[in-house]
Amino acid sequence: MHLRFAVLRIVVASLAITVSACAGPAAEPDNNEPECVAVGNYFANEVWAKVGERTCLKCHRADGDASESEFLLQDTLRNLRGLRDNRDAFHRMATSLEDGKSRLMVKVGGGLDHGGGEVLQPDSTGYRILERFVQRLSGKAGEAANQDSEVAEYDASPFYESVQMMTPERLLRQVTLSLAARLPSEQELAATRQSGFETMDGVLDQVMNEDAFYERLKEGFNDIFLTLGYDGNGEEVLSYDHFQPTRLWYQKHDLSNVPEKERQRARWSLADVYRDAIRREPLELIAHIVRNDRPFTELVTADYIMVSPYSARGYGVFEELRDRFKDPDDPFEYVPTKLKALKSRSEKVQESATGFYPHSGLLSMFHYLRRFPTTETNRNRLRARMYYQHFLGIDVMVLAPRVTDAAAVSAKYEIPTMQAPNCVICHNSIDPLAGLFQDYNEAGHLGRRKDGWYSDMFGAGFEGEELPEADRWRALQWLGERTAKDPRFATAMVEHVYYILMGRKVLMVPGDIEDPMFGAKRRAYREQRRMIEAAAERLAAADFNLKVVFKALVASDFYRVDGLATVAEKPHRRSELDDVGLVRLLTPEQLERKIEAIFGEKWGRLVNRDSKFNILYGGIDSKSVTERMTEPSGAMGAIQRIMANDVACQHVALDFSKEPSKRKLFPGIEPSVVPDGQTESEVQLRAAIVHLHERLLGRQHSIDHPEIDRTYRLFTGIIGDAKATAGVDARGSYFCERIEEKRLDDPNYTLRAWRGVVTYLLRQHDFLYE
Amino acid sequence: MQRRNFLKLCGAAGLGIAAPLGADAATEPPPYEGPYYVVFNASGGWDTTYLMDPKGVNEINRLYKEGDILTQGKHRFAPSAAHIEAGMSNENFFQNYAEELLVLNGLDYSVNNHSPGSRYMATGKLDSLAYPTFAALVAACKGSEAPLAFLTFGQYSATGNLVPMARVPYLNSLNKLANADAVHGVAQHPYHDDFVVNRIEQALREQMEARVSEVRLPRVERAQSMLYAAQVNSKALQRVTPYVPKTSPKERLSQQADIALASFRAGVCVSANLSIGQFDSHNNNDPDQMKLIPEFLAGIDYLVRRAEDLEIRDKLVIVMQSEMGRTPTYNNGNGKDHWSIGSIMFMGSGIKGNRVVGATDDKQFLIPINSNTLATDSNKGIRVRPEHIHLALRKLAGIDGHAFSEQFPLHVPHDERLEGLLA
Repeated sequence: MHLRFAVLRIVVASLAITVSACAGPAAEPDNNEPECVAVGNYFANEVWAKVGERTCLKCHRADGDASESEFLLQDTLRNLRGLRDNRDAFHRMATSLEDGKSRLMVKVGGGLDHGGGEVLQPDSTGYRILERFVQRLSGKAGEAANQDSEVAEYDASPFYESVQMMTPERLLRQVTLSLAARLPSEQELAATRQSGFETMDGVLDQVMNEDAFYERLKEGFNDIFLTLGYDGNGEEVLSYDHFQPTRLWYQKHDLSNVPEKERQRARWSLADVYRDAIRREPLELIAHIVRNDRPFTELVTADYIMVSPYSARGYGVFEELRDRFKDPDDPFEYVPTKLKALKSRSEKVQESATGFYPHSGLLSMFHYLRRFPTTETNRNRLRARMYYQHFLGIDVMVLAPRVTDAAAVSAKYEIPTMQAPNCVICHNSIDPLAGLFQDYNEAGHLGRRKDGWYSDMFGAGFEGEELPEADRWRALQWLGERTAKDPRFATAMVEHVYYILMGRKVLMVPGDIEDPMFGAKRRAYREQRRMIEAAAERLAAADFNLKVVFKALVASDFYRVDGLATVAEKPHRRSELDDVGLVRLLTPEQLERKIEAIFGEKWGRLVNRDSKFNILYGGIDSKSVTERMTEPSGAMGAIQRIMANDVACQHVALDFSKEPSKRKLFPGIEPSVVPDGQTESEVQLRAAIVHLHERLLGRQHSIDHPEIDRTYRLFTGIIGDAKATAGVDARGSYFCERIEEKRLDDPNYTLRAWRGVVTYLLRQHDFLYE
Repeated sequence: MQRRNFLKLCGAAGLGIAAPLGADAATEPPPYEGPYYVVFNASGGWDTTYLMDPKGVNEINRLYKEGDILTQGKHRFAPSAAHIEAGMSNENFFQNYAEELLVLNGLDYSVNNHSPGSRYMATGKLDSLAYPTFAALVAACKGSEAPLAFLTFGQYSATGNLVPMARVPYLNSLNKLANADAVHGVAQHPYHDDFVVNRIEQALREQMEARVSEVRLPRVERAQSMLYAAQVNSKALQRVTPYVPKTSPKERLSQQADIALASFRAGVCVSANLSIGQFDSHNNNDPDQMKLIPEFLAGIDYLVRRAEDLEIRDKLVIVMQSEMGRTPTYNNGNGKDHWSIGSIMFMGSGIKGNRVVGATDDKQFLIPINSNTLATDSNKGIRVRPEHIHLALRKLAGIDGHAFSEQFPLHVPHDERLEGLLA
């Protein structure tokens, strides 16, 4: 790899390298890092963690700018023994003297022609850490040891000590609700009770065969790729130049079977469905790959696209595919197909050695290219940025380098992006990649620039490798092939699945070494990183079957954490555990699915286009609102209250109106049972409450559990208040206790009291979060 | 349980985040009565030479020459009335607001890209994704119990996990939320009898009190606290209804302003992040900027005028900013590209107006300023960066010593702090 193209690789490495060093302020007593003790805590947790891997390793590595140096360090991510070698290297540098001064200190100060110049200022924390290291080695340990005492003050225990994991039954409910939008089946429950966690792989195999899983999968990946949000009508991904005869097929589609006065409306409806069908294609590609256990590398290499009977008409390929559809009238049945090389209106056929359009998964889909458009001045750099973020897991905009005077730099160089070192550091990776997208115009359509690609940019290529001219016609396939082989791809895909499951991104490497919680945050990061990397290895070993990642993450401690056994009193420990546990506010879509799973039908107002609650409740539109809200505002609190009131209103009386065996909420109780001071009625009522807690909240409580007590008090309190209040109607509410237009009698107020109970439960954390 | 006692319990449980609850733990919080903080974002990068930092030399501007530059009080500004079709001209804006307007020219955004620039301008911290925006920070410090404490309509809106952000895209959404305990929001048709509602709230409160003493994961503590607060505090939304205008304006910023103002006036909001985009005029800079700057100024003007109607104008603190400037030269497409030097404007409660601090030279390069006198000082002055601005804003808001601010420190040497910048 060419040195100047190593930057982004190093960025990734620096994000991950903390994994192998000791994480906490003190060495961990686990078997994974025997080196910590061997090299000493001070070196592992201070010198290496805060200086070596963050500063020195960027250049002093085999593929770094200082690869010729004798002071060569090792990335300890996958090489646990490397820590000892690194310690030795630091030791040699620290004890070697130049004019009576440690070479290590001279070098970091920019002396002895240090290639990296001054990397640590004398008043910086990093400099002081190295200074103490040198003092310790030179025998002036007295003062240094005192300063180090704080390092050992916190005695880190095993990371998951006193952390409680979900029971198998809770994990089962969590998985089926989250991934399949349903409660566990009786068979699954029985198997789980019998065999515990061992059943989970089988359950996941079943879940990942269900349609609901693929809805969730597509929704999750749209949160990441946002392809549903491309600009304009759905069919606008098809260029006028190549698809003009067919892309507006709905305008001339035969609707003679529709009464004339309804025909225009039917045509509008047809257009809407067609637009929806074509807009979904990128996500259908993802679903197809996963459903058929195909390598997920096809995300960037698939030599096909997915089309439905409706969208195929837009491409002009419906007739040749008709027989492959089970139902040629189903707008949302998708099959894979390859497009022939595109032919323009002037009959010019796209250059292609195979005769086909050079498909390369999402990379070459017009939808993706249109969602992340270019401009004359952006020159595909947005696409390059999104490529790094989506497929290699690198956000190149996270840490923009500060320069002394960016404006002066811009003015000083004729082509700053090719000449100014501060600009080149990123543009030498971004711009070649941008060049690979050069044949796609601002609308995402195939269309070579008349004047050729820009000469004031680095040529097309990928991280040091230039695109051969012979591959120009298939540039994105060329990129996809390299992406699939890049180890960062597997890690990025695991991080995507983590996001889908957890609702938040993976932890970022802690950056502030002066933060008192640096060690704790680093340890948490490292624990998570270890899990991510292990899952990535499993993904690669399983020929990139993405289902393996879902299984790996569901089985991980991070996903299964359910609580704490003892209070985390020490700030370090609290900091370590800060991001542990799923604890995710359900999205509007998830909440609707959960309501449907528990009550039998969706509420409807969170995802209904007209209600406008979706965005208010933290949802996204994939265009301007692209990040989900993860904490409830007061507006969301109001919606939760509305939902709880309304769902209880819709279902409580309705449930009681059914045969007990068909009831979801109240199978074991009748409205006639009232608290009368008798044990029998109290037991019946408490049993009904236990059932509600289990069904709505997934909590299995004993009949005398404090939470059951509280709910029982709520029920009996309401009944008591009703009795004590004059003028309370003996009939139920006109809006809620009405079945088939008949307002129900509720002489004991029990229907309304149960409705109050369900409202109370629906407002709880256990219902609104997963 | 009284709020104070509840918070004490939360604190005893080591809650990392304030439990933003109403005065009584089950009743709506008291109204927040100001100041109200509004951050206007010209998203995409505005051309400051067509507004508050006019040049007219070295072919920086094609629409006017140096001699055309106008003044109002201490302010110099570019003429725009002859070039706009809608919105508010610079002439009218400065005529109306120069007396209370503070302009800082020569702000060093330090970077040339939208994403880091937006983050830096919003938070004062370039190299962290964890820092809250000023609007979020001030909301958390001054009124996190308000149900819509931090309203945002776009642009970078990170909260630092200090306060939930609220998105209210439509004015009538506020009406829909006002009566959550009534069928279709109609107060005459409550879902439950009052005593049922009281019982439910009491049970939820008791449950929350019990949880405070339970052993919980930090994430669970935060989530349960914020959820409970969101539901309890949401009751205050009923106060918004009287201030929701019957009709909604067509202009983007005015729509946002109406939502923010109704929320301010009802005491349910501390800060709002208002934004319009498309300033990124790489092509045809002048027509784009002459369309968007007037729209931006009209939005500010609308906010101020409506605030007057609502009798809260004197409680507004307004920041007007963008994430970058535009180059002093035109590109081949008659556009202007990204430029890391720009300006920021302020006005409102506590801000001393009719002032211009800092400057750029004839080539639109920054001229450093003396941090004590605020006068330009090319030799020994400092380059004003977003962290300097944010420190000054924190001080103005009186939150510079707040624990939340200290949780997100801005490392500016003492001798670089801009004394008296805002006040």
